[in-house]
Amino acid sequence: MNKAFGKKGLKLCTALMAVVLVFTGCGSKGNSDSSSKELSSIEGRYTIDPETPAWKLDKKEETTDLTWYVNADWWNTDFGKDLVTKKIKEDLNINIKFIKGDDTKLNTIFAGGEMPDLLTVLDSNSPVVQKASTWALPLNDLADKYDPYFNKVAAKDTMNWFQLADGKTYGYPNYSNTQNDYDSGNIPAKTAFVIRKDVYEAIGKPTIGTPEEFKSAMQQIKKEFPEMIPFGFNSIGKGTGSLGDVLQDFIGVPMETENGEFYNRNLDEDYLAWLKTLNEVYRNGDISDDSFADDGTAFEEKVKSGKYATMLLDGTPQQSGNLQIFMTANPGKEYIAIDGPQSTVGHEPTLNQSGITGWMISFITKKAKDPAKAIQVYTYLLSEEGQKLMNYGIEGETYKVNEAGKIEFLPEIKDLQLNNADKFKKEYRMGEFMFFGHDRDKALSNDAFAESIKQMQEWGKGKMKPHFILENINPAQGTPEARSLTAIDTTWNTSLVSMIRSKDDATFDSSLAAYKAFLNDNNWDKIVEVRSEKMKNNKEKLGLK
Amino acid sequence: MNRTVAKEDLDSRIFNTINIILLCICTVIIVVPLWNVVISSLSSGKALAEGGFIFWSKDFSLENYRAVFNDETIGLAFLVSIAKTFIGVITHVFFCAMIGYGLSKKYIRGRKLYVAMGVITMFFSGGMIPTYLLIKSLGLLNSFWVYIIPALFSYYDVVILMNFFRNVPDSLEESAKIDGAGDWRIFLKIFIPLSMPAMATIALFNGVGQWNDFMTTKLYITDQALYPLQMKLYEIIVQSQTQAMQNVGGSAIIETTTKGVQLATIVITTLPIVVMYPILQRYFISGMMMGAVKE
Repeated sequence: MNKAFGKKGLKLCTALMAVVLVFTGCGSKGNSDSSSKELSSIEGRYTIDPETPAWKLDKKEETTDLTWYVNADWWNTDFGKDLVTKKIKEDLNINIKFIKGDDTKLNTIFAGGEMPDLLTVLDSNSPVVQKASTWALPLNDLADKYDPYFNKVAAKDTMNWFQLADGKTYGYPNYSNTQNDYDSGNIPAKTAFVIRKDVYEAIGKPTIGTPEEFKSAMQQIKKEFPEMIPFGFNSIGKGTGSLGDVLQDFIGVPMETENGEFYNRNLDEDYLAWLKTLNEVYRNGDISDDSFADDGTAFEEKVKSGKYATMLLDGTPQQSGNLQIFMTANPGKEYIAIDGPQSTVGHEPTLNQSGITGWMISFITKKAKDPAKAIQVYTYLLSEEGQKLMNYGIEGETYKVNEAGKIEFLPEIKDLQLNNADKFKKEYRMGEFMFFGHDRDKALSNDAFAESIKQMQEWGKGKMKPHFILENINPAQGTPEARSLTAIDTTWNTSLVSMIRSKDDATFDSSLAAYKAFLNDNNWDKIVEVRSEKMKNNKEKLGLK
Repeated sequence: MNRTVAKEDLDSRIFNTINIILLCICTVIIVVPLWNVVISSLSSGKALAEGGFIFWSKDFSLENYRAVFNDETIGLAFLVSIAKTFIGVITHVFFCAMIGYGLSKKYIRGRKLYVAMGVITMFFSGGMIPTYLLIKSLGLLNSFWVYIIPALFSYYDVVILMNFFRNVPDSLEESAKIDGAGDWRIFLKIFIPLSMPAMATIALFNGVGQWNDFMTTKLYITDQALYPLQMKLYEIIVQSQTQAMQNVGGSAIIETTTKGVQLATIVITTLPIVVMYPILQRYFISGMMMGAVKE
């Protein structure tokens, strides 16, 4: 009986397999016909003019329906109901239907051939982006044919950065900061070493630049404010909090070797000297064990309640709400940025900010029904006008320009933002519709950042340095090097914590030695090779030497 | 004689006492966190951020629930959830019962083949993308029926029902046939009433599954009007998270926190199941028991 079933089962399986193979073989016909699509004509609608954005010229009367897929579950899919999107809808005569989802949904969209007109993804390193030339339309061609004004509003560096092997650029990101942006000084720093003002005054405003000064300051804090934790840092989670690359930037560890190759900043002597210092501070009882275990929420609670005397804080805008809460409740005790730990070998800080890769990247797909309209959306949103609209709304209606030339929300709008965030979001939605949004637009207004972090941003002026050459240099996903790198990064994160928590110097050294040994055993040389190569390409793209 | 009775009495008393103590401990372990979720969801964001309470909230507030119910489409989502659960469960149970009834008959032709095919589907599935393509070609994308039709059949449930039906004596069916009943009548009037416990068990399993499912929506539905409660709440949670992330220059008042909204969401989604459970529970127990003992 059993045997018979086994035989039958086998036959059945084979038959089923055959059926499956036949069906899947037939399935993929007719999906790949669009690769050589000619851009459709706009004759009769308008003649292009390099000096005027095409959306002002386009005489198409019927409303264009666009579908726009955003690969983020949190995206608010409303369109045309709030002030910002209503204006976009009117000006461009379009109606956008947003679809949102995660990577799973994105895969099904590609597999099912249900491509939208526009598509936004959040990871510029993902395979979808790397293969954009197979499914998206090149922005260069679209601009030439439909809207040359696009070239005026798109940043050249950003376009070059995202160029694929065929010399064309397919996607345009938001929050992409170019060298010009850095040079203009309009991008505020987001990292700072902060101390509570009352604590700083109580211990006599010492300098805490050298390891010795740092250690003794922490001891003094401990003595005078026993209920506080002398030193804190961003929650570690699965990464390094603010003790990894953030600290490295803070003390200005070099980004490359002298001959322009990849430099393992984790093993920099200057940096290691500071880690040793932190270890001693830990052994003195001035770093809490909780700090290593706290998640983001727990860390934020401590910020909110002013538990830490000093912090190496990364992402000050994200913490501005919490800092503001503490500041409002405790006048005169607010956190202020001071110079803090400095390089033991005389390097200047090289603080990082969002790089040229930016954040979300948007594409116009080959299935776009009206590519002319789609590129007009890009031009519109990237223009001065669009940027102001997305961040501040409409002049006279939501904001005015004050004597100093800065944008100011009208009082009732400001009030709404502070006291009725829900209504503000629902009816105005300013600062939220941020495809093509940009850091530099924050500089247009004094209201863009909370009071609590303005001093920190002021402190950071002139201390930033672009990290462009280090962007997107990891080995391609799926390669053995990429797998090794993941393991190495994890090992580094745990090594860092064990080093700081070492009971004595010997344990510190052995943790470090174990990390070094792990590098050797896991393809590190190959990874360095890949990274150096990619750094070279980055420099070429940006015209750096 | 008396002594042994007393001894047995003592024995069982000790046994019962230990049992009761253990069960009490278990209950406390289960109930306290649940209770904490409920009272935490009824606390203001500030109190929640400060933490430190277990049994009673420090600062009573309905703000978290207000944040969830603020979305006016949530009512519609509730209706979609109820409709999909209700229709889904009834059709699923009926469909599986029909197949189970058929497969429980030894005289049916090709029975072994069907059973083998069913078993294979238990181990191998088509995978996400082929399934998506199938659903797409069936025209079920963005249709309410995507909640019902693909969920009609579950071989696992068919096996349970099939075994149940087999336990119904053949003589019962024969006598009904002699009295002139057809297959439908036998199925509806004899087998279904006799198998209520099994049906209720499957209905409960499937109902909980339908109520909690949001993957189907995530993959196949883009029309917001068809979002069930789970998807809507999932959305509210991710949005409250990003709101915290985007906290730039915004207000310093915290009425809700991500955690608070999440907790309120947990209470809202779990409540209907908690209410339904005691009602179906007696069927559930007898259903499990009947499946376990074979005469």
